[in-house]
Amino acid sequence: MKKIGVVGLGTMGQGIAEMLAHNGLEVHVVEQTQEKLEQGLEYIEMSLDKRIEKWALTQSEKKLILTRIHLHEHIQNLSKCDLIIETISEDLEAKKEVFRSLGELCEEHVILASNSSTLSITEIAGVTKFPGRVIGLHFIHPVSNIDIVEIIRGLQTSDETFQRSKAFIEEHISKKGILVYESPGYVTTRLICTLINEAVHVYSEGVASAEDIDTAMRVGYGFKHGPLEMADRFGLDAVLAALERMFRDYGDLKYRPAVLLRKMVRAGQLGVKTGNGFFTYDEDGDRM
Amino acid sequence: MKILVINAGSSSVKYQLFDMHNESVLAAGKVERIGMDTAILSHEPYNKPEVREVSEILDHTTAIRKVLNLIVHKEHGVIDSVNDIHAVGHRIVHGGESFHESVLVTPAVKNKIKQLFDLAPLHNPAHIMGINAVEANMPDVPQVVVFDTAFHQTMDRKSFLYPIPMQLYNRHKIRKYGFHGTSHMYVSRQAAKYMGRPIEELKIVTCHIGNGASVTAVDGGISADTSMGLTPLEGLMMGTRSGDIDPAIVPYVIGKEDLTIQEVSSMLNKHSGLFAISGISSDMREIVEAMEAGNENAKLAFEMYEYRLRKYIGAYAAAMNGIDAIVFTAGIGENSWQLRERVCSNLTYLGVELDREANRTRSDKDRRISKEGSKVDVLVIPTNEELMIARDTFDIIVSTATHPQEMEETD
Repeated sequence: MKKIGVVGLGTMGQGIAEMLAHNGLEVHVVEQTQEKLEQGLEYIEMSLDKRIEKWALTQSEKKLILTRIHLHEHIQNLSKCDLIIETISEDLEAKKEVFRSLGELCEEHVILASNSSTLSITEIAGVTKFPGRVIGLHFIHPVSNIDIVEIIRGLQTSDETFQRSKAFIEEHISKKGILVYESPGYVTTRLICTLINEAVHVYSEGVASAEDIDTAMRVGYGFKHGPLEMADRFGLDAVLAALERMFRDYGDLKYRPAVLLRKMVRAGQLGVKTGNGFFTYDEDGDRM
Repeated sequence: MKILVINAGSSSVKYQLFDMHNESVLAAGKVERIGMDTAILSHEPYNKPEVREVSEILDHTTAIRKVLNLIVHKEHGVIDSVNDIHAVGHRIVHGGESFHESVLVTPAVKNKIKQLFDLAPLHNPAHIMGINAVEANMPDVPQVVVFDTAFHQTMDRKSFLYPIPMQLYNRHKIRKYGFHGTSHMYVSRQAAKYMGRPIEELKIVTCHIGNGASVTAVDGGISADTSMGLTPLEGLMMGTRSGDIDPAIVPYVIGKEDLTIQEVSSMLNKHSGLFAISGISSDMREIVEAMEAGNENAKLAFEMYEYRLRKYIGAYAAAMNGIDAIVFTAGIGENSWQLRERVCSNLTYLGVELDREANRTRSDKDRRISKEGSKVDVLVIPTNEELMIARDTFDIIVSTATHPQEMEETD
């Protein structure tokens, strides 16, 4: 696999495109407008610059990475790709539309993957020509630094599609792939959002300060960030949305979002992206 | 006898075709950007104009096929038929502890090279692709592998072990391997020849200083110690590599700057050395230019580079309890008279007397730059790793032709 398509250049699309290009792959990105494409590319450049500051990349490596990212306004430009990863917003109807088009466009051997963290791969595959080649590849933000990918098998996903996807993840981009059967929140989102929700409960009950809750988990259990800072970094709105979806799908009270979480989202305190959440952050996203 | 020498990288193949009757180069060239639809093949046949082609070359097998086509091409070619190529020699970066010398390629040899992927994750897999590509195109032509590490396999345990828990050596073979072995071996032998003395009685310090740089103590013709270690990061300060630093800096920086292991590794390999200190370039020519124009940081970078190199020369004189010759080779060693002058003028206590005029004279020949009567000879010997690979390949092919049973015994 040498040519990879990415549909959507939002946060996840940017991260995935950057990571693929860094691994030497030719990346073809599609967004609806030239403006969105340019904006996405600008964010990728900013992200690369940040990595240069951390000595992870050199200027010439940055240039090389950028030459591997090709921008397109039309999904038809992806017909020659070996694998296409869809990263548009979590809207089932929109995703179905994308997969319907890709299904018509691409030959049977082209793997069509969705980065969805919650929607049903089986349902998306249902509207796609040759549904056996549809699979879920759930990358975690920030894509360049997190080396785990959940590989989600829908009901129709073929063994061959799974094997080829796993080989791609482990050999071409050197990440670890785990097999997950379709289920709301898969493994990562389900476990981490439950932990975050419980941390918000502990905080709002006044059991411990936000700082101490995070310190306990960082120092005590080797987390890089504590659960509250993690929530700030994911975006409290995203955490709330994931919890609400799991609460609805499983019907289990343990997923019911903490009241404080809901309040903070209503107040627009979404974490790193707004500069404040459980903690405060500067423009670079560093804790103040 | 014609021998093709191949140096295969992950997305490139460099080649030279030798006529071993007079060790002349019939053609040289390279394929770059393998895997892309805009791969570049450049081919320089002897006495004919250079050829450059841009085309889709998706794998090493296609790359080798295109090279062979050009070598026998009516207009750009240098030989009539691919059958005139008697053998192929490959450069292999890491031979681990398995290979002390060049060997004929057999399935067992290929397996051993594969087992060394962990030690050279960027290089050895590409070399195997090169070997397989030659096999696919020329199934009956014998191949020989020549290792960058092989020359240093003569090092004694006291030189190659690190003073850390022995389990790490036993479990993971963590030890000093050294690199540029083919070059250190070539220039030390050439030096002995130039001096007209048997190499067995000489103590030579060879300085291979180019993009990567290493120093070797060649005692009686064998490598007694070398500055690169488990990886090519140890030893001298280089263009963008730090060389020796206090290993405690690594965890300290990880904590202070909140870096990952990969970031620190990239910092030490790509953001250090001349580039880090000068802030302008990793290229010695640009450093010297800037220094002469009064740039203080460039001056500091130059001084550190020279100082660290000189310390190694002194250390190896001590290691061998003597020194008969210092050899400079590779890009900087062959071309930077400024660096050679500074190093040598600070080694007078060892008995080095530099001939400043000879040192400044440009040449691509083997030459002496020390004064007549200098206690230590200082030589500049242009390195030629490809020729060394061709010679080893030739010797092995000739000896297996005379003793065919050895072909079976190489594993």
